[in-house]
Amino acid sequence: MGRKIDDLFSGLGRVMNGFIICFLIIPLVVTSLMAFDARPYLGPLPPPALSTRWFSKFFSDDYFLRGLGVSLELALISVCLSVCIGVITAVALDRSNSRARELMTSLFLSPLIVPPVVTGFAILIFLSKLGVVNGFARLLCGHLIITIPYTIRATLNGVLGIDKSLTEAALTLGARERHAFWDITFPLARTGILCGGIFAFVVSLDDVAISIMLTDAKTYTLPVALVSSMRANFDLTLAAVSVLLMGLTLALIFVLEKTVGLNQVIGQGTFR
Amino acid sequence: MDRIVEFHDVVKRFGDTLAVGGVTFSVKSGETVSLLGPSGCGKTTTLRLISGFEEPDAGTIKIAGESMKGKRPYERNVGLLFQHYALFPHMTVAENIGYGLKYRGWPKREIPARVAEMLRLVQLQGFERRRPPTMSGGQQQRVALARVLATSPKLVLLDEPLSALDAKLREELRLELKHILSAVGSTTIVVTHDQDEAMSLADRVIVMNRGRIEQEGTPDEIYAQPRTSFVAGFIGRANWFCGRLRKAPDDAFVALATEVGSLLRIRAPQKIDDGKWRACVRPERMILTRPDANSDGRSDNLVSGHVVDIVSLGGEIHYVVDVADGRLLAVEPNRGGPRVRKGEHVGLSFRADDCVAFPLTEV
Repeated sequence: MGRKIDDLFSGLGRVMNGFIICFLIIPLVVTSLMAFDARPYLGPLPPPALSTRWFSKFFSDDYFLRGLGVSLELALISVCLSVCIGVITAVALDRSNSRARELMTSLFLSPLIVPPVVTGFAILIFLSKLGVVNGFARLLCGHLIITIPYTIRATLNGVLGIDKSLTEAALTLGARERHAFWDITFPLARTGILCGGIFAFVVSLDDVAISIMLTDAKTYTLPVALVSSMRANFDLTLAAVSVLLMGLTLALIFVLEKTVGLNQVIGQGTFR
Repeated sequence: MDRIVEFHDVVKRFGDTLAVGGVTFSVKSGETVSLLGPSGCGKTTTLRLISGFEEPDAGTIKIAGESMKGKRPYERNVGLLFQHYALFPHMTVAENIGYGLKYRGWPKREIPARVAEMLRLVQLQGFERRRPPTMSGGQQQRVALARVLATSPKLVLLDEPLSALDAKLREELRLELKHILSAVGSTTIVVTHDQDEAMSLADRVIVMNRGRIEQEGTPDEIYAQPRTSFVAGFIGRANWFCGRLRKAPDDAFVALATEVGSLLRIRAPQKIDDGKWRACVRPERMILTRPDANSDGRSDNLVSGHVVDIVSLGGEIHYVVDVADGRLLAVEPNRGGPRVRKGEHVGLSFRADDCVAFPLTEV
């Protein structure tokens, strides 16, 4: 009797796994198909003929290209800044005692809990009181706030895994604290740092909710451009962009897997 | 400039706990001293005070005559061998050994030759390009030692140097470590809770307990003439007799009247009072006499009882004997021949010189 129930549950588990995979994959397959649809309108699947017209439309549309440019520039700058801030913070947290560390870590991770719309609105009001009206500066502030938690968390994972006696050994061998950081802490935590940087990049590239509050007429990100164009005139350019973003993510994962191994990045963050 | 390390009345507290409570000692040039004690006795804090990871709350620490107040670890020229080696896993063996040379101002050209020299010293020639995680514990230990000795520090600190190795390897490396340290002629402090390690490596042993020094002396002195009952109990094994002291006709000895009425002749302590005392006798100094044998005249004391347990450790045999004063342990080398059996009645004799007495108030 007990065995039957066990079998039932493991069967159910498999069915659930199947459902989850379907729900993850089928929409992606549908989107990819639609991106290559040759028809100029939304027709029933499968498309009778394939073309790359939506991709050419995207690359000839100044509105989208401008958004892409802003998005990439914003993502790169905010990743660089947030990795630096994340590493400095993580090293400081690592040195503090455990109670202070836990408290500060939760504080620094709190932007993840606040709804992004609220964060975006708060930044908008705050910056306008300060007199910052430049769209890019506003976007950068917003993106730093949402990316820093990821870089801190990932770097901290890497730094905490390093045996303290390694740094102490370097000091007794004559290295200054800064030498010990560059020789020991940084290389050993590099997978964590890299992981944080990649998360930050993806989060920044992906964000709509905060960015939509902080854009101005000339400075807007690609996701914001897509959302507003979807409202104005819906066509399959959106599907083409989705396929491009998917491709970018896959490329990123491939590079990671080849260079450090994905398991290592997600799993531990400390070089061993 | 004979004294490499001078500790004067050093105190270190962590919050409410007194880790080191007024410790004074010095280490001469070329000497190997071990700090021995149970965990939490302050020996590790002492080591961290010397290497500069902690600053004393009071007292002075001098290294080679220079006060270490406010000196960072990298300003001290003190080598530290970590318990778990602390080799840099992302660097090769050569990079590990050369690390200190780079920061201690060695010319870049001379570093490879020095690294090779150090590897020869620890018998790991040809391991330059290996990475520490791919090596065995014993090999990692040698690399760590080479890294410490490469810069010829004024003082070498060893933190539980052999505790991470298995018993067989530990014995081998202990001899080799001693050989290497004397070949280099370095001044060394060994911090350990393992008395074999302390006794075998050191010229002088400093026994610590609860942040204070209990006794300082050569390994033989510490073993044969423990000054406190803590030292007697911590170093080696001990049999204890409790009772009150009575004057004996000759001044060098006194009598200990135990609670069950036996009278033991023991070496006289420096001061005698009417309180309770306990005397310690090493199990190796107890001579087991067969019931039929004539007691030899040389022994001052004889107690008798029956054997309740026999443990053979191969090289030596432990006899557990119940006597009127309690349970005693006698250790004899395994020389073969007829053995006493369990349950048999035996006598245990020992000399008055082998008994050391302590007032019982002292815990």
